[in-house]
Amino acid sequence: MRRKFKIYKPFINAGLQEATTYRVNWVFLTLCNVLACFVSYFIWKAVFLSSGSDTMNGFTMPQMVVYIFLMFLTSLLISSGGTYDIGEEIRDGSIAMRMIKPISYNATFLFQELGNKIMTVCILVLPIIIGVEICRTIFTGAIQFNIIGFILYILSCIFAYLINFFFNICFGFIAFVIKYLWGANMMKNCLIGFLSGSVIPFSFLPDILEKIFLLLPFASLNYTPVMIYMGIYSGFEILFYMGLQVFWVVIFWGLSKMLWHIATKHLCVQGG
Amino acid sequence: MKTIKRAFRMHRIFVIQELKRMMEYKGDFIVGIIGFLLGQFFNLLFIWIIFSQIPNLVGWTLEQIVFIYGFSLIPKGLDHLLFDNLWGIGHFIVRKGDFDKYLTRPINPLFHVMVEKLQIDALGELIMGIALICIVLPSLVIEWSFIKIVMILIVIPFATLIYTGIKIATAAIAFWTKRSGNITYMFYMVNDFSKYPINIYNNFVKTIITYIIPFAFTAFYPAYYILTGENPLFNIGVTVLIAIVIMSIGIFIWNRGIKAYESAGS
Repeated sequence: MRRKFKIYKPFINAGLQEATTYRVNWVFLTLCNVLACFVSYFIWKAVFLSSGSDTMNGFTMPQMVVYIFLMFLTSLLISSGGTYDIGEEIRDGSIAMRMIKPISYNATFLFQELGNKIMTVCILVLPIIIGVEICRTIFTGAIQFNIIGFILYILSCIFAYLINFFFNICFGFIAFVIKYLWGANMMKNCLIGFLSGSVIPFSFLPDILEKIFLLLPFASLNYTPVMIYMGIYSGFEILFYMGLQVFWVVIFWGLSKMLWHIATKHLCVQGG
Repeated sequence: MKTIKRAFRMHRIFVIQELKRMMEYKGDFIVGIIGFLLGQFFNLLFIWIIFSQIPNLVGWTLEQIVFIYGFSLIPKGLDHLLFDNLWGIGHFIVRKGDFDKYLTRPINPLFHVMVEKLQIDALGELIMGIALICIVLPSLVIEWSFIKIVMILIVIPFATLIYTGIKIATAAIAFWTKRSGNITYMFYMVNDFSKYPINIYNNFVKTIITYIIPFAFTAFYPAYYILTGENPLFNIGVTVLIAIVIMSIGIFIWNRGIKAYESAGS
């Protein structure tokens, strides 16, 4: 275990270095996403104003604000760029260099990304959580922060990240079939955006869709952690949905292993 | 005159070249278009679900919102179709040292970069935009006149140039920083604000998207004029003016940038 960590530690460093080298880029990317949050904020504000009632499908406006910003934070925490990297490496053939090394291909990605994520975690988690909590306290008149909820949220985020990570690896193998990952990636993002509840809470959807979406792996990405944090799920529900998250982690982990096995047999590096 | 003729000929050659490349990867082409259509589809689904719960959005009907949304896709799609290659400058062309290529050729580098690629994915946006407008048009009460049609024909290319100008300006930052893709991206995110009626925002956002990063002129203001026929001087005239200003700023920054450019080399 120690030995393993020693092998992969340089990848964590590399990821962190990458993040700090391109920090201007990172700041801008984060700002963009904050802007997108504000677009949804204003749309929801107009929607609540036009609806004439305080609650819509179980959400009040303050809850909606919390929902939007937590969704944003959660997607940042669990984001994973594996898709692009694998695709690009297959394209330019540099995947061959990874394959001749005596280390796991997936693990190198995982650790590199963890390094990359350190900056996000350090800089963003605290301000957003504090902001959200201040917002909730002002609206409800009492402190809502729940340490157990927060710990469960983090745990749920870790599961969600792993699902996303392995799912993206699986998806990255599409590059073996379609060489144009940008379009495929766009499709994937749109689909996930909707099916993970980032665009609209599931309670706004027809009952039957809500039930189906909750069981799909995408709900395990953003929706479950956010619902846990907001205290909407009961104890039993938390247990059920986190169990579901673990289930999806295992499924996608297995699938990525299988695809890797099949794909490496078909890989043909053009040039070198 | 001769240079313009030459430019058009060059453009044709690039387009033909690009079409050949596309035929090589037909699958990509379909994936790209479907990707964009899907993106728009989910946005519309969102609007539709919202409207199933409320009668109107601060005074706007579903049809009007869809019209504005559909209209916003047309200038965006046109710019995307014709000048998408500018994204590459900020993302990798400068960083990988590939920009040298453009400097060694006997045509204007900006022109060359702009027309080198044709981004067929954008057809997804254009098709969607036109389809949406056609779907809601029968249920909207719009007074048509000859002047209005002329105005629309004028405003679309200029609205497109607002996008192009912003892309040139932000891409050119890469000449100093090597990488500016996310700056362009940030400006593009602001454009999300312009897909919806401007009166849902507070004054701060309104000011920004009208005067600072004037994306409101790519969609909302022209669409508002088409819907109501009000205030053409502001809704159309200022759009044209702003497009010219933004393009000038873009070209100015670009020219300064090229002077500052030193190859990333490798």
